[in-house]
Amino acid sequence: MSIVLDQLTKRYEQHAVVNKVALQIHDAEFFVLLGPSGSGKSTILRMIAGLAPVDTGRIVLHGRDVTDLNPQARDVGFVFQNYALFEHMTVAENVEFALRIRKVERKQRSERRDQLLELVGLAGLGKRLPRQLSGGQQQRVALARALAHNPAVLLLDEPFGALDAKIRTDLRRNLRSIQRELGITTIFVTHDQEEAFELADRLGVMNMGRLLEVGTPNELYQRPQTEFVATFLGSANVLLGQCNDVGVQVGSMTFPLQTSSTAEQHPAVQVVIRPEDVVLAKTEAALRSPSLGQATVETQTFVGAFERIRLRLPALPDVHSIAPVRPFGEHAILIDALRNPDEARNLPIHSGDQLWIGVRRLHALSQRGLNVLMISDSQPVAETALNIGGNLARLAHARATVVARDGNEAGLRTRIQAVREQLGAGLPHLQTRLSTTSLIETVRRETEHEPCDIVVLGTEARNAERDATQLLSVAQQHVLLVPPTAKACSKALICLSDGEPSKEDVAFAGRLLGSVGASATLISVATQTNDIDRLERFLQSSAASLRRHEVVTDSKVLVGNIAQTINAEIKRGGYDLVIVGAPLGAYSSNYDLGSVVGPLLSQLSVPVLIIRSSYLQPMPERLALNVLETVA
Amino acid sequence: MTTQTIERTTPRLPWGRWSIRGAALTYLAVFLVLPLIVVVVDGLGAGVESITSVVSSPIARHAIWLTIWTGLVMALINAVMGLLTAFVLVRYEFPGKTLLNAVVDLPFAIPTLVTGVMLVILYGPQAAIGSWLDQHLGWKVIFAPSGIILALLFTSFPFVVRSVQPVLINLDRSSEEAAATLGAPAWQIFWRVTLPALMPALVSGTLLSFARAIGEFGAIVVVAGNIPLRSQTAAIYVYGEIESGSQRNASAMSLVMLAIALGTMTLVDWLSRRRQEVQP
Repeated sequence: MSIVLDQLTKRYEQHAVVNKVALQIHDAEFFVLLGPSGSGKSTILRMIAGLAPVDTGRIVLHGRDVTDLNPQARDVGFVFQNYALFEHMTVAENVEFALRIRKVERKQRSERRDQLLELVGLAGLGKRLPRQLSGGQQQRVALARALAHNPAVLLLDEPFGALDAKIRTDLRRNLRSIQRELGITTIFVTHDQEEAFELADRLGVMNMGRLLEVGTPNELYQRPQTEFVATFLGSANVLLGQCNDVGVQVGSMTFPLQTSSTAEQHPAVQVVIRPEDVVLAKTEAALRSPSLGQATVETQTFVGAFERIRLRLPALPDVHSIAPVRPFGEHAILIDALRNPDEARNLPIHSGDQLWIGVRRLHALSQRGLNVLMISDSQPVAETALNIGGNLARLAHARATVVARDGNEAGLRTRIQAVREQLGAGLPHLQTRLSTTSLIETVRRETEHEPCDIVVLGTEARNAERDATQLLSVAQQHVLLVPPTAKACSKALICLSDGEPSKEDVAFAGRLLGSVGASATLISVATQTNDIDRLERFLQSSAASLRRHEVVTDSKVLVGNIAQTINAEIKRGGYDLVIVGAPLGAYSSNYDLGSVVGPLLSQLSVPVLIIRSSYLQPMPERLALNVLETVA
Repeated sequence: MTTQTIERTTPRLPWGRWSIRGAALTYLAVFLVLPLIVVVVDGLGAGVESITSVVSSPIARHAIWLTIWTGLVMALINAVMGLLTAFVLVRYEFPGKTLLNAVVDLPFAIPTLVTGVMLVILYGPQAAIGSWLDQHLGWKVIFAPSGIILALLFTSFPFVVRSVQPVLINLDRSSEEAAATLGAPAWQIFWRVTLPALMPALVSGTLLSFARAIGEFGAIVVVAGNIPLRSQTAAIYVYGEIESGSQRNASAMSLVMLAIALGTMTLVDWLSRRRQEVQP
């Protein structure tokens, strides 16, 4: 391994701009870090070069831990976006700089310099000053300069960002061939997907400080695991379908799983349909692919060699559309299709046409992104809830929807504006809406539009039980109740009772806490002393499953009255989040929060996350590893 | 190219155009050019020989030489300390930074006579520091060239700081970072990368402070007095000649000072022009 990054983290104030990035890069590999601006990719590069200090984690270059070394000692070559040439030196002096520092003799210096200038295609321009060269030539000089001392690793930070398209293409090819020739391990940072695909042996996609996925360009395009990667690499139709023992079901289409599934009920699954895998035909029979339904052509545009078509498909049962984004209250599903000129000639279409949509191939995402719904009402505590919920969504890389309700329309609009300013910058995906109906009605409508995983609501202790009961009675999400005294979520207390549902509590809690970076204490309360051994074994296995999500965990069994013991432990341990399972079935409409959760909520002092055990089904593990394909 | 742009953006009405230009040019002529012409005519009134005869007198020669060498010593010290100050102000964070930044401009605001008074209080023979320096090091500050240099350092301090500071702020750190990744230790980065980039600003700031020093009067007359052949600078010589009614001699010396100052300014102008050409 040439480059190993181990749990690399960088914070600016409280905000993690690089969040636990782990990555291994092989010898002579050309690795591309791809992500939108502000995703932390450049910061990683600067940390590897020693230009930005590391907060936690390690950097190993060729087996040598360089985390605490200064840039001079790291033996890297770095190419900057703005070239960063020494303006007062000639091209030759620039290239020779590293050798001069190393006191290499004049003759060897000039030999190496000529060789490098030849390599980057600038032979004979050594006497020029940088300002006498074009941008592309200057970047070639910068590349030659960075290679002069034979560095172990070459790092390029958006090197072609300031150049125009034609020169970029030339330079890319040039760089790739130089890298092959020298066999130097390279990391190239870019926000340009085309550039990434053309250059990379492997690429890593980043967003919000996280390295989401790593793979070859082909793997990541064909089999993304996260919604972000699916939509960032090319365009994608993302739908929410159902996963059952036959396969993945989207409307009337069922795509068989290539592996057997153990799913018992109907966990929702995100499926990706690439526009080029959408088939259009006049009749259903002519599709020769599984049919999604009959749709209306909305728009049609030409993009160079291809034709892009947007269609509107009437709502399908149990199918929700995530991308492309549709307006709220719109029940129809929007589908993007891409056709080559051949297909376009065989079936000319116009907007308004009725066409059948078929799907050649679809892919199910293994990591369904979390979706957080935050309700902001007129109470002062709503602000606290937004902070807590927004922070959770940001750290968990979740989609977030904020609904302002309870107030006149003008007031709601101002509140929405404030929410956007407060949360907008830090969230991967934020939607805001107004609602003038009741809490239950609001949540019902929202979850019908797009199912969510957690509803966040700010509330006072005296109303907590009522609000929890209401929220749990609609749809199928977990509930996070935030009291006015809440500050952060970094130390969680997970209260378990033994048995099957609790395993799911733990699975969800682990996923959430892992992405938030919180620590956890697992407790179980025994009412009789002879239960202790059994509960301890159960807690051990639960703790192990939390550690798999990299959550720092300890566990203990307490004895006593359940509600009183838990309340005492909350006060004693300084926890700032309590996670409990709700003793509920899936679809009943009246809940009794029972003897544990009820008393807990009546003394609400820290946020309480009530997990609906029956909702979260584990995904069949190997589902994601297989592309689900049918070919007629 | 610049002139074209200016013409396009000026008002189209000839009346407006000419009245504005006329006002500016008349103002320049009356307040700047006219006095210059008068002093040149007066200085050359009795021919070039009269200047050489005035200037070749031992007292005048000493005054010119004293002015130049104290100015040069000051400019050199100012270059180093001004660069250092600018560096500290731009690159480091410390409490009171804003205050220090404001204090830099103080010498421009304080009347130079007051500066002289402050120095006399501080270094005079009766003052603690002044008497200590005199007794232990035999170093007289007041009525001596060191006093002149001290006065000049105080009055010219802002020039180097204020010309280097903006360049340093806008200096792209990435070339320094590039040098670090190429293996250059910190002092080599400064010497080979940072300093060359600051050089034009540093030189022009230094020259400006020198040009300013040539004409300094108020601070010097208080600190150094008016002792011919010892602490009399060119400006004080001119003052003395005017007092004693030799206007010719005063004009001749003024011409010499003008020549030095104009020469320096031309150099500064040329340097800054060259810098602008360097930056595309």
